[in-house]
Formats: sequence, C-alpha cells, structure tokens
Amino acid sequence: MNFDHIDIIQSLIDGVLFGSIYALIGLGFTLIFGAMHKLNLAYAASSIAGAYSGLMSLTIFGLPPLMAFIIGPIMSGVIGLILYFVCFRFMPRGNHLAPLMASIGALFFIDELIIHETSGSPMSFPATLPDAYFFLGEFGIRGDLLLVMGFSFILMAIVMLLLYRTKLGLGTRATSQQPVAALLCGIPIHRTNSATFILAGVLGGFAGCLLAASVGVLSPLLTLPLTVKGLIVTVIGGLGSIRGAIVAGFAVGAAESIFLLVRGVNERDIYVFLLLFLFLVLRPNGLFGTTINRD
Amino acid sequence: MTYLLGILQTIGVHTLLGLSAYLLLLTGQLSLAQVGFFAIGAYVSGILTVIFSWNIFAALALGSLMAGFFAFLVGFPALRVKGLMLVVATISFSEIVRLFFFNLSWRVNVNGVEVGPDSTQGFREIRYFAANGWEQIHIVGLIWFVVMVVMLALWWLDQVRAGAVLRAVGTDELAAQSSGINLTMVKVAAMTGGGVIAGIGGGLFAHSTTYVDHHTFVILLATFAVSYPIIGGLRSVIGTLLAVIFIQGFIIEGLRFMGDYRNLIFGLLIILVMNMRPQGLLDGHLVADIRKLLSKLTKGGKADA
Repeated sequence: MNFDHIDIIQSLIDGVLFGSIYALIGLGFTLIFGAMHKLNLAYAASSIAGAYSGLMSLTIFGLPPLMAFIIGPIMSGVIGLILYFVCFRFMPRGNHLAPLMASIGALFFIDELIIHETSGSPMSFPATLPDAYFFLGEFGIRGDLLLVMGFSFILMAIVMLLLYRTKLGLGTRATSQQPVAALLCGIPIHRTNSATFILAGVLGGFAGCLLAASVGVLSPLLTLPLTVKGLIVTVIGGLGSIRGAIVAGFAVGAAESIFLLVRGVNERDIYVFLLLFLFLVLRPNGLFGTTINRD
Repeated sequence: MTYLLGILQTIGVHTLLGLSAYLLLLTGQLSLAQVGFFAIGAYVSGILTVIFSWNIFAALALGSLMAGFFAFLVGFPALRVKGLMLVVATISFSEIVRLFFFNLSWRVNVNGVEVGPDSTQGFREIRYFAANGWEQIHIVGLIWFVVMVVMLALWWLDQVRAGAVLRAVGTDELAAQSSGINLTMVKVAAMTGGGVIAGIGGGLFAHSTTYVDHHTFVILLATFAVSYPIIGGLRSVIGTLLAVIFIQGFIIEGLRFMGDYRNLIFGLLIILVMNMRPQGLLDGHLVADIRKLLSKLTKGGKADA
C-alpha cells in the first residue's frame, strides 16, 4: 500500500467534514444524558426515522426536496418526545436498567417499523449539492459535505445559545446538575426534560437528513452504526460535555477516515473501537469530562 | 418433532446467553459484551473440532475458557467505568470480536477437504455431531444438561456468601465498598464467569447449527442476551429461563403466523414490561408471594394430614 501526505491530508479533510454528522449525533446523546443521566439508545434510530418520514412526505405529498430537511427534523423531535414519554417519564428515578432496556425496545421497534414500511430496501435521498466540488490546491472538497459542516456549525451555535442564553437552557442545566434541587426551585423538570428530548430529536433529525443526503441513500442498516459511533463520540468527548462531543465528533470522523485509508474498509471500525478502549484505559473521563458526570 | 427439538435447541442456547448476562447484572453492570464471548466460544471450539479434530467436550471446555480469559482481560479496563460507559465499551468489544472474525481466513486442508473460517463466507464445516453419529435428541440433551448445570451453579451461588457479595455490589456499591468488598475483583470475577457461560453457549451453538458467520454475532444478539434477565427479573435464575421461553418460544415461534409484526411486538413488549414492572416480571414481591403461597400449601397439607 502506498500513499503520500496528499492522500493523508485529503482523507483527513473528508473525515473532518463527515465527522460533523457524528458531532451532531454525539451532541444529541450528550444533551439527553446531561438532562437525565440516562442513556437513550433509540436516539440514532429516531434520527434515521425522522429522515425517513421527511423523505416519505416528499413522495406522498409531492413536495420539493428541500422540505425533507424541514419535515425530517420536526418528525424526529416528535419521536424524541414520544420516546421520552414511553421510555423515561414514568420510570423510577433510581432505576437505570429499566429505561435503558426500554430504549433498546424502542430501537427494535423503530428499526423494524422502518424495515416493515420500506420492505428493507434502501431508498435514495435527494442530494443537496450533487455537482459542487471545490479544489484547494491539490486537495478536493466535496461541496455537499462542506454544506453539511456549515449547517452543523449553525445548529451547534443555536444549541449553545439555547442552553446558555435562555431561561429554558438555565432550567436544563439546573436539572442536569441536581434534579431534586431544580424541582425545589420551581423548575418543572418533566417539562424541561421533554424540551431537551425535543431539542435533541430535532438535532438528530437534521443529522439523519444530512447523513442520508451525503451518503445518497437511506437504509435501516444505518441505525446501528450511527448509534455506535454516536456513543463513541459521547464517551471520547466526555460524558455530558457539549464541547467534548463536538470536538470528538470531528476527531472520530478524521480518525475513521485515516483508518479507512491505511487499513481498508473491513478493518476500519476495529481501530475506531480500539481507539475508544485506549481512551477508556488512559482517560476514562474523555477529553473534557468531569468525574461528576462519569456514571 | 425435529421442529420442536430445534426450538428447544434455540431456547437452550439463548438461556445460556441470558444467564451469562444475568451473572454480571447481579453486580448492577449491564454488559453487551456477551455476544463477543459467545462468538469467541463458537469460533474457538469450532476451529478445535474442525481443524485440529479435537473431541467435542475438550473443544467446548477450551472454547469457554478462552471466552472467560478474554472476559477477564476486557473486564479490567471496561469495569473501571460503569453504567453508560460500560455499555459503550462492551458494544465496542463485541464489534471488535465480530470484525476480527469477519476478517479471519484460516483455510486448512483436512483429509482432502479445505475447511476452516473463510472470512466473509463464514465458518461452514462444523459437523462434529453428524460425523460422530450424534442425533438431534442427543445434541438437545447435551445443551439442556449444560443449561441445568449452569442454572444449578448460579442458584447455588445465591445460597452462599459469594451471591450475597454480588448482590451487595449491585444494590449499593458505596455500601459494599465500605464493608470491605473489593469492587473490581467482584466485577471482574462476574465478568469472567459470564464469559465462560457465554463461551460454552457459543460452542454449543456453533456445533448444533454447523455454520456460523459474523452476521450471527451482531449487537442485536447482545441486546437479546441482556433483555432476558432484565425482563425475567433478577431475583431468580428461573426468571431468565421463563423470559427466554416466553420470547423465543411464544413471541418468535408461537406468533410465526404474524410474520414481520413479531419483531414490532417484541420491541413494544420490552417497553411495556419495563414500564409496568421495572424490576422484571419475576420481581422480589412476586417471588416472596410465591414462597408464601408454597409454604401455605405445604402447611395446609400437613394440617389436613
């Protein structure tokens, strides 16, 4: 195998651009984990389901392709809210296994529903900028991925603004630090949690649509890899750390792309997982995590 | 009859998977690495009987020991973290194992036939039982013998101090640590034990189906493994067995006429059970009620006599 620095830098560029999708999913996982200290394993599935409903509304109502990027996130937000009610809202607070298991059940359900509705065959998703390709010296940049990245940055900025500049964000952060104390201060924690789930869902819906647009197809096979990569990003970034999730998203995308170049597609993920183990051994709190959030 | 034996085979293997997750769940740790250990047991014992022409019992034993060894190895880094981090770490471990076998090609010429794992094509020629004149009823007998031994061992574990230690760690780590329990040791021991059980289950699975490939060992199987003890409840090993019979026997086989909808029902069922009975179907209250009922019945019998 021979490759020079140009190949390496090229694959780094591709990886970082694609990593913005991982960053969005990781951010969603982090938001939910931060709010409840519980894991929603159905999260990536709900993102893909949102993208699917966006795509289906195009074919059913004959809408312009751009509408998929509006309907998809909205539907993901709705699914997120439903997930909150069926998997988390009525569970005893001290029990971590039951909601986790319920969200696994929801993952199965969403996955199977998609397979059932589409007969398991992938559906093509409208590309955003099919012909755009820029050259930067010797390196090429895919226009649609650049758009994905720009879009992700806007979304991240909006989330940051919501969290740190609004009353809702204050409530969310308070609930994540001390749910009981927040309740005593008059913060309606169930409503706050619902809002967090909707927000994370909308983010995931955008991520799902962007992923589908840059891959070109939507397939139920996307849910499990997206779930696993999102979780890895969350852990490497540090549980509950928002900037950690964003940085780790880009880092994992870049690392994955390098492993793809060096070791090929069959072995790529082995090294991504080994990277995670390296983090667990050497830095169990992740890049920006604190021990408080390590649960 | 063959059909019925086939179901019994599946239920037996899945019970072993469930029990291996059960052991670790007693310490409060949710691990999705069980499918990785299962795969190691399947491939190692398969390679031993196919390529090295070992006896099945020796191969099963070494396969499960290897799985236990890897569980021990992965236990240390993985159990430094808990809860959510452990879930992620163990998913990664299972995927590493799966991808390793996905890439493993080890073709050997045995008696003029090329055999062994063939990466993406899977590992086909695990025909020890057929080659040595075992009938299906013998295979089912062997699987259920192992299931019974493991269940008895886990039941016995609950009667002695070790079980109390496991449950103490699961109920309250801080309190357990304060009373002098070495948390890491207990968790790694439970992980290793779970690995051994999953490994022997994997070996039995590989030999009873004669064919394994990496599709068999996806994370989905690991979620099944943990769902049995959680749905069945952690109070008793019987809960796991009941959950396997209910899910594999009733939902997957019994509702076959419903086609695709079975999987939808399975997802809904998990959500429903977790909302109604967060401690599992057979939780502490129910076990106590059954005990009370049983003692009342036996007392009543004595009074009549």
